[in-house]
Amino acid sequence: MDKSAVLQRKDSTGLFSRVHALFSILEKLPQQISEEELEGLFKVLPADSANSMRSLLKPAIQQASMPFLQMLSAALNDTATAKEQGKKVVLAPFNFPPEIIHAFDNLAPITTEVLTTLGVVSLEGQGERYWEYAMGLGLPDHLCSANTIDLGSMLSGIDFEPDAIISGCVGSCDVNSKTHEFVSLLLALPQIALEKPPDNTERGFKFFKNNYLKMIRQLEELAGEGLKLENLRAVAEKVNRCTELYHDLWELKKQVPCPVPGIFSLFVCATRFSMWGRDEGIKTLEACMEVSRQNLESADYGSREERARVLWIYLSYYYDLVKFYDWMEERRISNMGDALQWAFPEPLDLTSRETILDGMIRSAWNNVMTRQMGAASMSQRWIEDIVYIIREWGVNGTIYCGHHSCKQTWSVFSITRNEVLKRTGVPTLGLQGDSWIRSMTPMSVIQEEVEQFVNNVINKSGRRRRPKIKDTV
Amino acid sequence: MFYGGIDVGSLTAQAVILNENSLYAYKSMPVSSNPIDSASAVIGASLQEKNLQHQDLTYCVSTGYGREQIQKEGLADENISEISCHGKGAWWIMPRVRTIIDIGGQDAKVIRVDQEGELVNFVMNDKCAAGTGRFLDVMSKTLGVSVEEIGPLSFKTQKVIEMSSRCSIFCETEVHHYLQRGADLADLAAGINRTMAGRVMALVRRVGIEKEVTMTGGVAKNQAVRRELEKLMGLKMITYDLDSQLVGALGAALIARRLAEGKQ
Amino acid sequence: MEILKNITTTIENDYVKAARASGQKIIGYVCLSTPREVFDAAGIFPYRIKALGRGDTSMADAYLSRFNCGFCRACLQLGLEGSYNFLDGIIETNGCDHLRGMFENWQHAVPRPFFHYIRVPHLIDQDSLQWFKEEIELLISALNQHFASGIDDQKLQGAIEMQDRVSLLMKQIYESRWEGEIKLYGHEIMALIVAEGSMPAADYLQLLDSFNEEIKNRKALDVRARIFMGGAATDEISLVNELEKLGGLMVADSFCFGGRVFLREAAAAEPVKRLAETYLNNLLCPRMFMSYSNRKDYIFNLINRSKADGAVLFHNKFCDLHGIENVKLKMDLEKEGLPVMLLEKEYGAGADIGRIKTRVQAFLEQLKR
Repeated sequence: MDKSAVLQRKDSTGLFSRVHALFSILEKLPQQISEEELEGLFKVLPADSANSMRSLLKPAIQQASMPFLQMLSAALNDTATAKEQGKKVVLAPFNFPPEIIHAFDNLAPITTEVLTTLGVVSLEGQGERYWEYAMGLGLPDHLCSANTIDLGSMLSGIDFEPDAIISGCVGSCDVNSKTHEFVSLLLALPQIALEKPPDNTERGFKFFKNNYLKMIRQLEELAGEGLKLENLRAVAEKVNRCTELYHDLWELKKQVPCPVPGIFSLFVCATRFSMWGRDEGIKTLEACMEVSRQNLESADYGSREERARVLWIYLSYYYDLVKFYDWMEERRISNMGDALQWAFPEPLDLTSRETILDGMIRSAWNNVMTRQMGAASMSQRWIEDIVYIIREWGVNGTIYCGHHSCKQTWSVFSITRNEVLKRTGVPTLGLQGDSWIRSMTPMSVIQEEVEQFVNNVINKSGRRRRPKIKDTV
Repeated sequence: MFYGGIDVGSLTAQAVILNENSLYAYKSMPVSSNPIDSASAVIGASLQEKNLQHQDLTYCVSTGYGREQIQKEGLADENISEISCHGKGAWWIMPRVRTIIDIGGQDAKVIRVDQEGELVNFVMNDKCAAGTGRFLDVMSKTLGVSVEEIGPLSFKTQKVIEMSSRCSIFCETEVHHYLQRGADLADLAAGINRTMAGRVMALVRRVGIEKEVTMTGGVAKNQAVRRELEKLMGLKMITYDLDSQLVGALGAALIARRLAEGKQ
Repeated sequence: MEILKNITTTIENDYVKAARASGQKIIGYVCLSTPREVFDAAGIFPYRIKALGRGDTSMADAYLSRFNCGFCRACLQLGLEGSYNFLDGIIETNGCDHLRGMFENWQHAVPRPFFHYIRVPHLIDQDSLQWFKEEIELLISALNQHFASGIDDQKLQGAIEMQDRVSLLMKQIYESRWEGEIKLYGHEIMALIVAEGSMPAADYLQLLDSFNEEIKNRKALDVRARIFMGGAATDEISLVNELEKLGGLMVADSFCFGGRVFLREAAAAEPVKRLAETYLNNLLCPRMFMSYSNRKDYIFNLINRSKADGAVLFHNKFCDLHGIENVKLKMDLEKEGLPVMLLEKEYGAGADIGRIKTRVQAFLEQLKR
């Protein structure tokens, strides 16, 4: 068989290598870039990369996007240089909090969905060639592109391979867990499964905690070192700073109009998924806070005369930042972000190893998707969170992106939409589309539906709806 | 001795008659309302051309839609899947061929055969129309040209308007959108053919490519889809003189001959 | 057999009607991880929820989405239509994401008086076994409380022994296709297994006995190819029948409406622990993690012992667990020289049967059969 034709000869490098190469250039950019310099940069970048950078580096948010890009670059460097530093790379899904890996001297975390999103955002042709490679293996087309694009690149044998995989979605997402298992079997990589039982009681938490502690022992074995208290405490202190900033941003989102740019939800979740508990993560969140505070003070920013405050109740679309985040802002729709930023972190008690670990485990238990889809009732916990956030931030419309791979959310979307409307009076738009592959549903179709929803549903009576404020959660 | 092959597709029906060593007669016609009528008409016309009767056929094989009923009605002695038939037919014309891309009105298949023309592996599209002749049919109607024109149109331009979606429903909307903005028909046709090739390539990847590669079925006549597929595969496909829609019926006749020999 | 026909074509079959007439309680479940002995011990009729190949999902689609598995949608449809109104209760299991959604919607739309969730672990280790044992104890206590069932160890032991007998006899019938002449079709085995979750255990044992006697007098079947079938949750007896008409007889399977129903290996003597081991350690379903080699070994063993010529691995559209695992199985089986075909299908896909048959026929031709 002519394998080169299947792999496409042009794919001489994998997603990680290509993204890392690009970020090695981006990290060298000055903290502030003039508009002329930006135009020059856009000219040399391939069209798809230039499109994303146009959104990321626009003057209004540049102060935050530079530390954000540098944070991602640092995460990529950690992985790229792990071997020469004697470290092992642990691949984990987005719902697995990475701070525990940061606490090991000999381990570096990397997150599947972060890599996929970086590939989609920064590479010419986005991530489709890797998706197609995975499809070529015979994998079904209803898989999650957030996993399959990056893992497809790994499976092609032309990209870096981690030293172990954590399946952190066992109990909250079948497709994610199964894809990770497939990759670990095919590449013969050690797999660590972290199971969350669908039981919200202390009995359930105890079982989860036991699983988590077993996972730490497996990580210690992999790293060839014990988890050191001083490392754990140092990371925990930085985690607490991240948590503090997370809640500061949360508070700012209550302001009307919302001074926090929509794209910051992407910055926050990328931080949560990669550099939570690291200086680079703190810098990104501090910068997001600073820009938002300036916005509030100057009252001159994105959706200042907002027509709607829209919450994406699960995923957003990440393949066209200009036509998604910027477009909404231009139409004065405040994008209150998506569920990926619903980390609900609490400050860690730094008293002892046990208290720190207990807090970290609770963070993992409450992290996005684990908390909602891993609950005793998927719909109940999801509804509670949506209703809480609607009331916290004064949301007046919610949108479900409807990625076809999210079988768990799709299966309870109907209950959720009806119940959210009943409890808050806030309507939900249901869309269908792939969050990471542009050729599934064109962005023009998504924009049109969002526009219709804002015009005809949220603002149909000519005045903005406000959520009902009775019976708080 | 004569051997027959009948292939009823979603749009056209074909029949092939072989004698001991060569292609003796063949016919192709649009299908009628049911596969048995189509089969009866097309094999009847082929036989009539050579003044033969159905009983002159030593063995006959049916393939395609309704192949079982066609056999039950006595028009064929055996029924064989169109996948095996296209593989066998293409291999007989070009013994070097190992991969056959067969695109018909409703189905797309990628077929791998061995040095004897025997089936080794295959994959068939799911229910989605995007990689089949049906996609080109819908798109040509949207463009307001005949399906035969959509291939040649592509060659009139160097520009390709890329379709942003792989879904035929969204593509149709997108083409309408471009037409309203005054886009050139040729540029759109080029985009449509490229999208079509992309969908078929997804199937090719599943089976893998072994040289030589060829195309059969109605869409094989679309030179633009062929060119785009060649670009994606990074190779030149081999071509042949026979009507690409006849390959299935030819394969059926070849299998009829082998089965008859086996029974002797 | 007439009785088998009634059971495999009717949701509310004659046994269900008889149970209702006598006032016996009936509880519905779906997953193989549900220990039916607990219900048997309680004098409750455990009924395995199924859709018998019915593809209509028009009402269910207002709850579950078209991105959810057709089998779950079809079962929910029957629930919404009222076909399962005879159930006094429902047992939820976290079999897969689609199934969890199905139960949530079912209980939301047409709630049953008794609803209990068995949280089945995804790993096989001591902690998971302990958790699952506690889950069975919670189930027993919920049934005792709601139905005053009076389940005790003695009753459980009796129910376990009955299932052991059923399993032994079923194994004999199942494996009769592996040596000498084949006298029964694979779709008949599937029908027997569908019947297992549709009638009381004692009646089922009798049914198996009569079936076993009946097949002894049959003539040997003409078999073109010996096929192993596996994959998605399906009770589509007619689909297997249609495919067998092409000449490929299903000699073994790994369906959850298949031979896996009768796996009983367990070491513990204490009844609840024995049930935990039986239902967790033998749960050879891709919803389990870190145990692919168990499933692979089980399938390899079946293929070797049944002398299968090839394997057809199904998955219902949007079933990720089987869809992904089938690809790995295909790679491993092909490495051993066994031809394998992957077949993605809709559940109850009557309209698509022609295309499915084309692929299976071509596969048989590929096997040179």
